[in-house]
Amino acid sequence: MWNNKIDQTTTAVTCPGCGLSCDDLRIETGNGRLTSMHNGCEQARRFYHSAFDNIDRTPRIDGAPSSLDEAIDKGAELLLQSRSPLFAGLATDVNGMRGILGLADRCGATLDHMNGDAILRNLRVVQDNGWFTTTFTEVRNRADLILLVGSQCIERFPRLVERVIHPAEGLFSGPDDRKLVLLGPWVGSRLPDELAPLNPTLIPIGLEALSDAVAMLRALVAGQPVNTGRLDDNLGDALRGLADELKAAAYSVICWSAAELDIPHSELTILGLAELAKALNRESRSAALPLAGTQGDITCNQVATWQLGYPVRTRLQRGYPEHDPLLNRWQDLIERGENDLLLWIASLSSETTPPSCDVPTIVLGHPGMVFKAPPALYIPVGVPGIDHQGHWYRSDSVCSLPLGKLREIGLPSVGHLINRLHERLRSASGEPVGGAPC
Amino acid sequence: MLIKLEGGRIYDPANNINGEIGDLYVRDNEIVAAPGDNETVHRTYALAGKIVMAGAIDLHTHIGGGKVNIARTMLPEDQRGNVMAKGGLTRSGGGHAAPSTLAAGYRYAEMGYTSCFEPAVLPANARQAHMEMADTPMIDTGGYAMLGNDDLLLQLIADGAEQQTVNDYVAWTLQATQCIGIKVVNPGGINAFKFNQRALDVDDAHPHYRITPREIVSKLSRALYELNVPHPLHVHASNLGVPGNYLSTLATMEAAEGLPIHLTHIQFHSYGTEGDRKFSSSAAVIAEAVNRQANVSIDVGQIMFGQTVTVSGDTMAQHANHNHAHPHKWTCMDIECEAGCGVVPFRYRDKNFVNALQWAIGLELFLMVDDPWRVFLTTDHPNGAPFTSYPHLIRLLMDRSFRNDLLGEINPDAASASHLGSLQREYSLYEIAIMTRAAPARILGLTDRGHLAPGALADITVYHQHEDPEQMFANPMLVFKAGDLVVEEGRISKPVKGTTQVVRPEYDPAIEKEIGRWFERYHSISLHNFGISDDEMAEGIGSRVTVHPCREGRP
Repeated sequence: MWNNKIDQTTTAVTCPGCGLSCDDLRIETGNGRLTSMHNGCEQARRFYHSAFDNIDRTPRIDGAPSSLDEAIDKGAELLLQSRSPLFAGLATDVNGMRGILGLADRCGATLDHMNGDAILRNLRVVQDNGWFTTTFTEVRNRADLILLVGSQCIERFPRLVERVIHPAEGLFSGPDDRKLVLLGPWVGSRLPDELAPLNPTLIPIGLEALSDAVAMLRALVAGQPVNTGRLDDNLGDALRGLADELKAAAYSVICWSAAELDIPHSELTILGLAELAKALNRESRSAALPLAGTQGDITCNQVATWQLGYPVRTRLQRGYPEHDPLLNRWQDLIERGENDLLLWIASLSSETTPPSCDVPTIVLGHPGMVFKAPPALYIPVGVPGIDHQGHWYRSDSVCSLPLGKLREIGLPSVGHLINRLHERLRSASGEPVGGAPC
Repeated sequence: MLIKLEGGRIYDPANNINGEIGDLYVRDNEIVAAPGDNETVHRTYALAGKIVMAGAIDLHTHIGGGKVNIARTMLPEDQRGNVMAKGGLTRSGGGHAAPSTLAAGYRYAEMGYTSCFEPAVLPANARQAHMEMADTPMIDTGGYAMLGNDDLLLQLIADGAEQQTVNDYVAWTLQATQCIGIKVVNPGGINAFKFNQRALDVDDAHPHYRITPREIVSKLSRALYELNVPHPLHVHASNLGVPGNYLSTLATMEAAEGLPIHLTHIQFHSYGTEGDRKFSSSAAVIAEAVNRQANVSIDVGQIMFGQTVTVSGDTMAQHANHNHAHPHKWTCMDIECEAGCGVVPFRYRDKNFVNALQWAIGLELFLMVDDPWRVFLTTDHPNGAPFTSYPHLIRLLMDRSFRNDLLGEINPDAASASHLGSLQREYSLYEIAIMTRAAPARILGLTDRGHLAPGALADITVYHQHEDPEQMFANPMLVFKAGDLVVEEGRISKPVKGTTQVVRPEYDPAIEKEIGRWFERYHSISLHNFGISDDEMAEGIGSRVTVHPCREGRP
């Protein structure tokens, strides 16, 4: 059956290493070890090795080994004692997130994803304004001008060029005829090997100056009188040239990674980029390609949005969802001491350990996690796409890909553990087993 | 478990039962014939004076998939203003125009609905549509996969592919996406918009493929007919919302060449260009065409005044209308060389000439199409209005004086430009039961529901008799879902999960090679990861599949 079978087809494995979610990996395993891997990037290699190298499934209570049953008892006890839990991290698959939302509703938890800052940079633009976006297959086949904003798109999404920007062939625009413009902090840095052969136009600019440059681009595209001379000569001219190219393009694509735009009021810069794409559609075609999805942030957010009506940074303490993109930031909630329990869920990377905080912490975490101080409870969980089947959203929020199962070493999924905890809470309050609200 | 529903007034048009007093028996999940004297009835519901119908079926409601989630994301105010706290049995949620999945499921059940169909499933987004519907409790669901703007099909047609190839591709799509029907939205138009074309009428050539929307409708409607798929091609016609578009709508009916065709939210496609404002009702012409052509069915897509959000695959139309967004924000998306979506919040105002006339046009269509088996009660949720307005809409259809009172309140120029005031017709309960139960089941090929004969799924709604049909339909006394009593006095009494309704016409698997080549060259996901298996539906997505038979025999 789907849930239990180990994936025999290892030629189209979906990699949850980043939001590109490449699903062409060829992976061979033997005796529970990774024996070979093709098509994956370095990041994917690290992801798979880190998972396959860690097989300890011993739960720990205050650092001491325990059985899974004892761990579940302990987790249920901590949840029952809590009056204001924070469920954060939330790096999991669709069914993990479904379980988390059901439990959060019961416990009156507040929810935020570890990448909440980056998520909300984009989402606040959607909430206030909307945007015009596109997806990978469209860009592969249609784009004739691609504007990459920032300088980390390739670092964060290593196969972006091969998979999206410059594939072997395209339906309507030849990849070799595609114009690539890089707008970002490129001064003094070497172009990634993937980009250099594409002969991109470089417009070096610091991230802090992006907002101003994007505003100028919008004005130029709108045909407003603009004094490009107030910027550095080269920059002003370059932006004027770029505006002309954007207007002339049949299908331009404006691409950024919100995680890179870690600058004050970055949502305003993103608003500018979104509005630029919208404005270009008055006369020609253009669309934005916001890159995201790493650590399951799109996955988490999609499920939260359909079940709660809100994205992350939502609290259920009053018996119904209340969303606040500023007040419910997990780092600030911990800093302000607003919660009495942290449930930290991080199934995808051993490095995403929980923040240190003064309240008891339950970690449903990657089996390779090493803690500076042991949390009240740590249950190693299966890695989606390795230890269990699941679903995972790509960057564009459209394609939810199936994740396969590559080994069976008894590591439970987040969804399974959360549902067990939920059942335990139900029986503690005398409710019938197996009848969780749906 | 054997239960008896005793002495209710039964409206079961599929079995020609029109308000007769009678008993119904339910064993487990099924309606059964009257048991023998020696059998024990475990529970009897005395229903004297109550109205009994099959559970209602909504054949066109946007309840799942990416575009709905974009609407939710873009409209936190819709959630904030419509809070739904958790109850002892139910989860929290909220929303009015774009409700959370849980809120949508509960509210549908509380209105006596037991099956709902999402009409715009993008193949690339089918998993999400099914996951959202799996998280919509209480109801059975199903979806129509969108074709006719996908580059693969347009290329096939442009290359002169045989009808059989199109048929195989259509059947493969139904299987891969776990859907029960095929929808085409603005045939070729969404695709043409990607080439910067801003309009595409039925006989206009596509800017790249040089084929016309007429050819697309013709090929797809024939494919479904030849595959014996019960539901005809579900068509969102060309030129949505454009004054004068009734001509495109008539041409789209013709494009089916006499084969079955369903034109959806036809209210948005029944506009003329008469009058000072160059915007008029062509409902009479459209209704006459529907009455004349037995192969045509429609749903209305009635608008109601108030705030809602429009969600559509029709990026061409949605982008053209973005300046009307209220509040002023909008989202569009080009998607995977398949289609797209556009989300534009909108407030219909009764004092606005165009909105008021749209309201009247919808009602004119309901009242001028003679055969209730071929016109379905929809608001194209949430595009015309949220589905929660159905009880109000039913009252508008059943109560002429109420209708005329409201007609007196709308924009007076619109009221005088409409025939509505002169239309005498009042729908009967029997006709409402046809258009909300029997007919949608029949046109979807669902023989197991929409009626109350032995063998049917025990999806049953019991209403209190009430002078005001709006009150009656808003708060059923009892709702049974597959034999479970799930709603009592308009409130959830037992949360349940539904299943996914699909059809499986056969096809030549050789088509998968062709599709596979296309995926390898142009797509960003592999064919292997594209299709959804039954096991994945049941165990991963969370909704078991119920396969419905195709029509029998060669067409």
